[in-house]
Amino acid sequence: MNLRRFLAEAGTLVGLAVACALVSNALARNERKLPIPGQYPNATKVTARSGTLPLAPFEAEPGAETPVVSGPAPASPPEPAPGATVRPSVPPSRPASPGSNPASSAELLARFPVHGQPYVEITGEAAAWLHARRALFLDARRSDVFSQGHIEGARSFPVWEAEVVKERVEGLVAEGRDPALPVVLYCSGGDCEDSHMLAQALFGAGFENLLVYRDGFPDWLRRGGAVRAGGPA
Amino acid sequence: MKIREALTHPWFTVRTQIALGLFFIVAALPKIADPPSFAHMIYNYRLLPGPLVNLAALTMPWVELLTGIALVCGIWRRTAASLVGALLAVFIVAISLNLFRGNAIDCGCFDVADAGKSVEERFRDMQFVILRDVGMLLLVAQGLLGADRAESDRAA
Repeated sequence: MNLRRFLAEAGTLVGLAVACALVSNALARNERKLPIPGQYPNATKVTARSGTLPLAPFEAEPGAETPVVSGPAPASPPEPAPGATVRPSVPPSRPASPGSNPASSAELLARFPVHGQPYVEITGEAAAWLHARRALFLDARRSDVFSQGHIEGARSFPVWEAEVVKERVEGLVAEGRDPALPVVLYCSGGDCEDSHMLAQALFGAGFENLLVYRDGFPDWLRRGGAVRAGGPA
Repeated sequence: MKIREALTHPWFTVRTQIALGLFFIVAALPKIADPPSFAHMIYNYRLLPGPLVNLAALTMPWVELLTGIALVCGIWRRTAASLVGALLAVFIVAISLNLFRGNAIDCGCFDVADAGKSVEERFRDMQFVILRDVGMLLLVAQGLLGADRAESDRAA
């Protein structure tokens, strides 16, 4: 077999593959579409494992309700029915649902002032405190994962679904929220970086007080935080 | 000599190439169905520059699918086997590099969803995947030798 024939056949196969890829991407639903070129500034950086970055300081207020559940972690994450609010199995000091203890913007800003960075990481305790005071929570995981269960009151901002997240960021900007108010972002904890990527996008859109819940949804489940299943909020 | 003849026998060659082709077809389908998840997998390898991540996530599964179909159907067998060999070599190098630098990843070979594995499980899987891909490279070599023999048989 000569080289020219080999190159012609290989070129045809690869060219056909590129054509199929572009056509299928053009026809795909927004959740399945990928922008070309991709925009991943840290694509070649091997990042530090979670636990190596400093966390934003947070101390529970003396005498205040403890927003964290102590006790054993559930053996496996609960499987909530669609639309159902899942209550933790150890309820005594469960984080309050959004709305049960509305906080003023001043209270949120007093505990979490604008930090001047794209994001800072926070603990589960801080996340529970913010959740109890109706801070905005954004879930950076894929929308189908969000539907299976997410922090109660969180909105889906699936950072890997570029078209979807672009629309939602624009929508969030259009809501006219105060960009200084804390916004909590989370994904799957561990080495998941989706929430960090979302923070970069939101910082670029003008949000100034982005807090990444470092241990993310698995930690929320361990703490017995309120969880909801169902479609994007 | 007899071993080589047995290994390159058309009966054996056809079946190994069909198996290899089916393997690649099965591997391609979940990636084609969910490009963002596969892009996430490629991103986790930390090897490709950002602008190329999505392009690779979109095109690589189609290359796998088309070369797999070509192998199964016996069309352009030598070229398809060579492309499959090139893909396998890329996978082996990519996973080895990440093993070497301690970046535990899901390989994204057949399942593009986050499996929620521990770091140790991922490292074990990566070692297994390298061995498996080396085994598949041997099938590619068998296919190329079989194609050589078929050509020489035809010429004779």
